[in-house]
Amino acid sequence: MSSPAIPMPGSIGRSPDPDVAPPAAVEDILATAQALRWEVGQEFHERLVEAMYTEAARLGDRAVTRPGTEPRFDLDRSIDRVVTSRRWGFPIMILLLALVFWLTIAGANVPSAMLANLLLDQAHPALKGLAAGIGMPSWLSGFLFDGVYLATAWVIAVMLPPMAIFFPLFTLLEDFGYLPRVAFNMDKLFQRAGAHGKQALTMTMGWGCNAAGVVATRIIDSPRERLIAIITNNFSLCNGRWPTQILIASLFIGPLAGTSWLAGAISAAAVVVVALLGVLLMFAVSYLLSRTVLRGEVSSFSLELPPYRPPRILQTLYTSLIDRTLIVLWRAVVFAAPAGALIWLFANIHVGGDSLAGHLVNLLNPFGLLLGLNGVILAAYLFAIPANEIVVPTVLMLTVLTSGLVGQGVGAGVMFDADAAGVLTILKGGGWTLLTGVNLMLFSLIHNPCSTTIYTIWKETKSVKWTTVASLLPVAMGFGVTFVVAQVWRLVAGG
Amino acid sequence: MTSPLVLLGGTAAVILGLGLLFWPRLGLLARLRGARDYARRVRTEDTLKHLFSLEIDGRRPTLQSVAGALGASPDAVAGLMTELADSGLVDLAQGRISLSPRGRDYAIRVVRAHRLWERHLAERTGYAEVDWHRIAEREEHRLTPEAADALAQSLGNPAYDPHGDPIPTASGELAITGGLSLSSLGPGDRARIVHMEDEPAVIYSQLVAEGLHPGMVLNVLETDGDRTRFWAGGEEHVLAPLLSNHVTVAVLQPEADLPEPGIPLTQLAQGQGATIVGLSPGIRGAERRRLLDLGFLPGTRLFAELRSPSGDPTAYIVRDTLIALRADQARHIRVQP
Amino acid sequence: MPAQNPITLDPQTVQGNGNGSTDAPALGPACAACPAHHAANLKRLGVDMADWDYVVALAGNPNTGKSTVFNALTGLRQHTGNWPGKTVARAEGGYEYGGARYKLVDLPGTYSLLSTSLDEEVARDFLLFGRPDVTVVVVDATRLERNLNLVLQVLEITDRVVVCLNLMDEARRHGIVVDDRRLARDLGVLVVPTAARQREGLPELLQAMQEVATGQVHLRPNRVHGEPPALKQALQQLVTRLEAAYPQLPNARWVALRLLDGDERIIQALKQGELGSLTRQAVLA
Ligand SMILES: Nc1nc2c(ncn2[C@@H]2O[C@H](COP(=O)(O)OP(=O)(O)OP(=O)(O)O)[C@@H](O)[C@H]2O)c(=O)[nH]1
Ligand SMILES: [Mg+2]
Repeated sequence: MSSPAIPMPGSIGRSPDPDVAPPAAVEDILATAQALRWEVGQEFHERLVEAMYTEAARLGDRAVTRPGTEPRFDLDRSIDRVVTSRRWGFPIMILLLALVFWLTIAGANVPSAMLANLLLDQAHPALKGLAAGIGMPSWLSGFLFDGVYLATAWVIAVMLPPMAIFFPLFTLLEDFGYLPRVAFNMDKLFQRAGAHGKQALTMTMGWGCNAAGVVATRIIDSPRERLIAIITNNFSLCNGRWPTQILIASLFIGPLAGTSWLAGAISAAAVVVVALLGVLLMFAVSYLLSRTVLRGEVSSFSLELPPYRPPRILQTLYTSLIDRTLIVLWRAVVFAAPAGALIWLFANIHVGGDSLAGHLVNLLNPFGLLLGLNGVILAAYLFAIPANEIVVPTVLMLTVLTSGLVGQGVGAGVMFDADAAGVLTILKGGGWTLLTGVNLMLFSLIHNPCSTTIYTIWKETKSVKWTTVASLLPVAMGFGVTFVVAQVWRLVAGG
Repeated sequence: MTSPLVLLGGTAAVILGLGLLFWPRLGLLARLRGARDYARRVRTEDTLKHLFSLEIDGRRPTLQSVAGALGASPDAVAGLMTELADSGLVDLAQGRISLSPRGRDYAIRVVRAHRLWERHLAERTGYAEVDWHRIAEREEHRLTPEAADALAQSLGNPAYDPHGDPIPTASGELAITGGLSLSSLGPGDRARIVHMEDEPAVIYSQLVAEGLHPGMVLNVLETDGDRTRFWAGGEEHVLAPLLSNHVTVAVLQPEADLPEPGIPLTQLAQGQGATIVGLSPGIRGAERRRLLDLGFLPGTRLFAELRSPSGDPTAYIVRDTLIALRADQARHIRVQP
Repeated sequence: MPAQNPITLDPQTVQGNGNGSTDAPALGPACAACPAHHAANLKRLGVDMADWDYVVALAGNPNTGKSTVFNALTGLRQHTGNWPGKTVARAEGGYEYGGARYKLVDLPGTYSLLSTSLDEEVARDFLLFGRPDVTVVVVDATRLERNLNLVLQVLEITDRVVVCLNLMDEARRHGIVVDDRRLARDLGVLVVPTAARQREGLPELLQAMQEVATGQVHLRPNRVHGEPPALKQALQQLVTRLEAAYPQLPNARWVALRLLDGDERIIQALKQGELGSLTRQAVLA
């Protein structure tokens, strides 16, 4: 510690001062306090708070001069009347959500394609060429460029544009002061589900990142309701899953709409439907938990609705781009690079006539088909436990590998590629149908939290039991939901 | 591939079967396991509690009274008594049933667990008041002394349960409460409810339905025959002796300036203003403190500003801030429009 | 020396995240005559806060701009958001001002220190046991009464308080005029009007924090004594005992109040001798 101007006898981390009172004195103080507590009576606390507030009001009155008697915050109240009105409250909420997704999907298309073109179509062959030029052994260049580089590049191309649009939009809504109004509008539903109204806030935080959503549950001061909020936070689609939803919706759902401008709207609608399904599941699971293992104990709810504040748009764009987007991207890259390496190894180490990845996919395939998915998707979710971001790249790579599509890949374990059409060709080649697309969207919504979130849940609850429940319950539900959808679909479609 | 119908049906059957077997508490497995030990402990503890409550009242237990309390046959109870005497919890000298010191300690521990649990239910949970006793009856047998101490600490070492009964300390001391029965008051008397007997449940639930809580101040208007007509919590109540005998009160000095009782905040129409006159004793513990911290204090002006589109929380302007409360809490705040 | 830089959103500020070595520009309008701006330049230290000289806590009601102040002073980017409860965990950062290094601690918002609610525990514990050298209470100038309630409670715990009267721009917009000098006199501590989002008033805030940290100003805070007679007596009994056991304890009244309220955290502190650590402030006074 550097020497301050004045002797400073204490700061955090110092050992306790030596002047600790003897135990006898402490006992005496505690006993006196206990005895006096019976005397001062139960209303003591209230008198005290009243005295404080009275004094605060007196001082406040002395210091503040107000203009006349006109009501303050007129504009705020007018906005509030609209966004919490019976007629418009809920439509506005859903419209805003849809608008955010539509802007994200529509806006991300072009930059995504450009990035894919740059990083995958141009840079990748160039790197390979360079490697060949300097005489790098082919296994090493394969490992580095077909494994590590491609996985990373793919994640950047898929993740960066939607995140760079989604986060700033969301932050603008947050800075404006709209989120507490969402909680205010939806509280009745939470109440019915036996949950805390502030769970609405942690739910929306979860749309950014589930781990952050889990930490945000600290604003809920009742342990039971906090636990419910933690367990159900995973039903908020997080940033690692939005791109998957958006991509699959654009590939499989959008084309159902004929015209191209309608396709964007339909894809956005499909994503909103999945997000709302997540909200619905969140309510359902909260309800079930609060009726069974986490019974009773509905606690109080008080929510301050802050004044609306005009967000500072440029500053918000800048900070959420730098902060949230780049940090999230960094995380994705950190997980994608080793995962890419691992997948490449899995695809290129052969045991008994097939690669390790091939064995894994074959093993999972029957179960996957039962769920309307396939072995590739399930294998991809195993690889993606550390980070959901890498699901799609892994799916593509494994599909190429196992469906034996030639002419698309450069070698086993190469992840590509490119534009939407190319992706669709690969997937169709792998036997994908509309059902596979729909069920992947569902499974992406309903499966285990990523490892960071699991760790956060453990840190927040300090309970192995609840961490296990929070991790396994969604996977089990995901299996159930996709299974039922697949079977009913086949029943109706006569497959 | 197998037919989807068969698959769906098969899975449903498997899930149902597993549920029946393993469902916590209700599943077959859970029922079999532990059910017997538990029943035995419950019987022991209920017996000790019964003996203890008679001892406090200065009455003498008999085989019949124990049988009545447990809902068992006198024969079964006789067997139980010898068992308890063998384990040193009960003395059976000279044909009399009485608690041994160890039995008394045990009984006090159970009472402590019961009352702490009731306090916990009252302060921290949304269970209806009529359910508290029933749930505490169950939980008192499950709460270990250590858990009871932890619970007491987390509740801020409360001295009374929500019915106004003293909670024994960890070392087994128990304050004896005094007080009069409500039925003994006369017209013009002013008193505070200190205790409401929670057994039998039928009577207690009627008292709760009347909206009475310990801590409430009441003013007796009239005693008509043996009925007592009084004013409490902004309403008039009439209780038959059967009910009023179960309410213990402490008499207060009569006061000229009774606070205006007002109406519950929930009755305030949107856009209407009012002044808070008080918080009802029905809102307790952390919830009450939170409201106080937020500035919901007697004398404070507030406005009902916004109602949620789904009907429930209402946002009030209190001390320049918009704060949303659920009807569940707002009904405990009494205001004067 | 870029001492005369106006306060704007400069790239230095935003890139200086965690980078203590850049010579960040001073915060401060060109007011060479003000003593506040002479030698004392702000250097944002980001997360580099080894060897601090003073610990400063940022407390206050939820959503009053604590994290915004924190970001402006440390150059970090702690999340802010327009809803109460945005910050849920303690965040720490550093800055250098007037030749001394400060560790700044951003706390979650609290309505009160009198309760035992879980969501307010982090802030309550730090204010009581973290032993900050200065406690800056960030208050919302448009809701003074509600915020002063917390200020008064903090004043019961420590007298080394600076009140940061934030959101002055909003107050002006609504035509609310706050007489900060009168408030300062009434409270007995320094009061600095600011608009943290626009970085108004931060130089004065830094100066005030320095003065309190180094003990240059002598603070004589007002304390509330409106309690009923029965309570006063009970308090007196406890305070006498506490003062006998801990002669240095500056806030015996507060400890007594909490004991009467059955606050488990304080009871534990007493049992484990942590209370001795509360005596620090008195040594300086
Ligand atoms: N107009 C204006 N807005 C401000 C000012 N200071 C902060 N804000 C805004 O007020 C909101 C809350 O700011 P925060 O810094 O997150 O508040 P906090 O006190 O940390 O809030 P909690 O962490 O929830 O307790 C944000 O939207 C800020 O942009 C100010 O001086 N003027
Ligand atoms: Mg904050």
